[in-house]
Amino acid sequence: MTEPVYLDNAATTPLDPRVLEAMLTHFGGRRGNPSSLHAFGGAARTGLEEARESVAELVGASPGEIVFTSGGTEADDLAILGLARSAGPEKRHAVVSCVEHAAGREAAKSLQREGFEVSWVGVDADGLVDPAELAAALRPETALAAVVWANNEVGTVEPVLELAEICAERGVPFHADAVQAAGRIPIDVSQTPVSTLALSGHKLYGPQGIGALYVREGISLEPIFYGGGQEKGLRSGTQNVAGIVGLGTAARLAREELEDRVIHERALRERIMAGTAKMPDVSVNGHRERRLSNNVHLTVSGVEAESLVMFLDSLGYAIGSGSACSSGGHKASPVLLAMGLPEREAFSVVRITVGKDNTAEEVDGFLGAFSTAVAQLREISPLYAG
Amino acid sequence: MSDSYRPQVVDHLVRPRNAGEITDPSGRGESGDAACGDVACFTVGISDNVLEEVRYKVYGCAACIAAGSALAELVEGRHLLEAARVSKADLESALGGPLPAGKEHALTLVLDALHKALEDHWNRNAGEMLFDAPRRRETGGRSVVAAMSGGVDSAVTALLLKEAGYDVATVTFRLHDGERGSRSCCSPDTVLFARDTAHRMGLPHFTLNLKGLFARRVMQDFVGSYSEGRTPNPCVACNAHVKFHASSFLADELGFHHVATGHYARVEEGPTLARPVDESKDQTYVLWPVPRDLLSRTIFPLGEYRKTEVRAIAEERGLAVAYTPESQDICFIPDGDYRGFVRKKVAAEPGDVVDREGQVLGSHAGVVDFTVGQRRGLGVSAPTPLYVTEVRPRSGQVVVGRKQDLEVREVRVRDLNWFLNPGEAARVQLRYNSSPVPCAVEEVAEGGWIAYLDEPAIGVAPGQSAVFYTGDGERVVGGGVVARAGS
Repeated sequence: MTEPVYLDNAATTPLDPRVLEAMLTHFGGRRGNPSSLHAFGGAARTGLEEARESVAELVGASPGEIVFTSGGTEADDLAILGLARSAGPEKRHAVVSCVEHAAGREAAKSLQREGFEVSWVGVDADGLVDPAELAAALRPETALAAVVWANNEVGTVEPVLELAEICAERGVPFHADAVQAAGRIPIDVSQTPVSTLALSGHKLYGPQGIGALYVREGISLEPIFYGGGQEKGLRSGTQNVAGIVGLGTAARLAREELEDRVIHERALRERIMAGTAKMPDVSVNGHRERRLSNNVHLTVSGVEAESLVMFLDSLGYAIGSGSACSSGGHKASPVLLAMGLPEREAFSVVRITVGKDNTAEEVDGFLGAFSTAVAQLREISPLYAG
Repeated sequence: MSDSYRPQVVDHLVRPRNAGEITDPSGRGESGDAACGDVACFTVGISDNVLEEVRYKVYGCAACIAAGSALAELVEGRHLLEAARVSKADLESALGGPLPAGKEHALTLVLDALHKALEDHWNRNAGEMLFDAPRRRETGGRSVVAAMSGGVDSAVTALLLKEAGYDVATVTFRLHDGERGSRSCCSPDTVLFARDTAHRMGLPHFTLNLKGLFARRVMQDFVGSYSEGRTPNPCVACNAHVKFHASSFLADELGFHHVATGHYARVEEGPTLARPVDESKDQTYVLWPVPRDLLSRTIFPLGEYRKTEVRAIAEERGLAVAYTPESQDICFIPDGDYRGFVRKKVAAEPGDVVDREGQVLGSHAGVVDFTVGQRRGLGVSAPTPLYVTEVRPRSGQVVVGRKQDLEVREVRVRDLNWFLNPGEAARVQLRYNSSPVPCAVEEVAEGGWIAYLDEPAIGVAPGQSAVFYTGDGERVVGGGVVARAGS
């Protein structure tokens, strides 16, 4: 059997060999703690600070504004909980979109349990947040607003510039989850007035278990980890040096190659969209133009997503499913429900996300397998009339 | 337990066996719900109790599709008794071992769809007149259909019969929509629980849908009785028209000899009903309407045991049993509010509360709220406690009086079902959990009888059962429905 084809890059990307090479130097015998004063510590510190520069450059920040975390989830949690908890006793309100990644959504729910009021801002059928709706939700006591830059499921890119400007005018800190956007959309925090912005290594061909939070100079955050005061006191704990070096390298490559990657991914995305458009009862979710370059999100009528994913897996193609099947019944994605997808259709959605290393041949092979799997599963489906 | 699928699951997913739908099936069953993300549908072709053809369709996760395929393959060509025995564990072995965590519901889903197809087959065979058609009856052998509710008594009944060497098939009835979880695909369900219990004992399990019959013969009668001023006993109505007839129907279909339930009673020669060993659990009072020809093929294994022994047997054999409250609650009114239930079905007309002389003492919102012997909620104050002594639905009057006004010495009984010679009737029981009173009986016009009580009885309500016992109080001579009581 040939090598399986990986088309689930929104879940995680492969590790770039150049990233691995850079990381390996920090796994060797001369490992030091970056907080130590001796030469061992110095070497680690150098790696750390070079990486900080690369990450800062990817988003147009200065290195002092980058805090390393254990990943995108921690970065989102630190921003949302940190902004809320440092806002002062009179500010007990947050504005959060309905299409956040689970990290943002669950952090906001935990604020609700702490006694904060959360206004959930809805989206249209394409998953877009309406800036006017966000503006209307802001109050004098609003501690923060949070909107995902590009949604991880349907790939819709939000009007973050406009949203951030509205919040800046009203003096409300704005957090953007850019985990999917970074490396696919040019981000420049000197032009877009976000207060905080979350990144993750493993969506950028970097390692898993590492992420970063951009924290604009002057923004105050209550940490969620306490200890030795590393990362300017915002993230105590000895840094994951190898991971940070990997993230730094991945960020540098992403910045250098962003344009080429986007052109390549977009061509593959359009190839998949063109192929699936010919199939009956398959429709695209998310905004058609304001969309991540690598994302195809489909409703496949009459076919349950998990079975389709497993079927394709057996044929050597890895894609993502849009729902989770468990003993308590399926859980429909809150993002899709917020977009107004009927619950029963929300179990028939799959996500195909290409990456910089996929080829047109792989995509063509996938389209053939996809068509076979869908036809066979529809044959045995009591919910597909054809 | 692994988190990923075994090769057998993937094989069934990619190369499903028996996929499709039979156009003119003997039965069709569907389980699950599109809103929950899983739907399984089975169609079966049955001839001479053999599943000649089985087809399935599934919308659901890979586990569900594979389980459907494996189940269809397992049961096609098998006798119904074999097919109905296939358990979740059997299905799991056919799929190479346990499914990944969180996927176990796939087994329940496809088994339920198959069992609903079998149920549909029985119900099609039975038709509207399920139980009145005369059938070929087998007698004397050692095969039995045991009714199973999911509770401890019926589970132990099936187990005791199996251990006594009987061929046992179990059956659970769908009687009404108030059953736990019966409307939801994702919550515990009494039928599913009974099926699991039967399968763990290695017994085939069937279901019959008796909702139409139960609504006509039990629930409508229940509501009608109240609006006619009678006090109904729905368990009696169920035993008279539903439970034993349905078990017997299935026994005939399977060529089985006997039927069994988990009632505490004994069947003696005659046939007649006799008191069980555990007199505190005695259910002969509600079993009097079982027709003689059905009683003659009935076994009540628990008649020989005490409830404590039954519980001990269940525990010792590791029988997990559903939580069933020990009470005389009415099964289709789980919250116990039977007034509320009746009021939803019939409009209540206001009327007068009067004394024996017809003098108006107050008013009430409807006769359905009253039953003979009732003391609370009369809305009338009096120096001595007042009781409902009579309900007159035609005039809308509720008659109240003192406690001694409730005393009766003559009870008119109709709709009699005699097991023994009426001449043997020496005692009569007029309420559940009360002692029989010595009496003499006399036949009056049109099949009606009068019981003359040696001592007065209290709170005898029309609609309740009057059950006659032999002089030693041990055997049921016969029973009927109280038509009228007087002093």
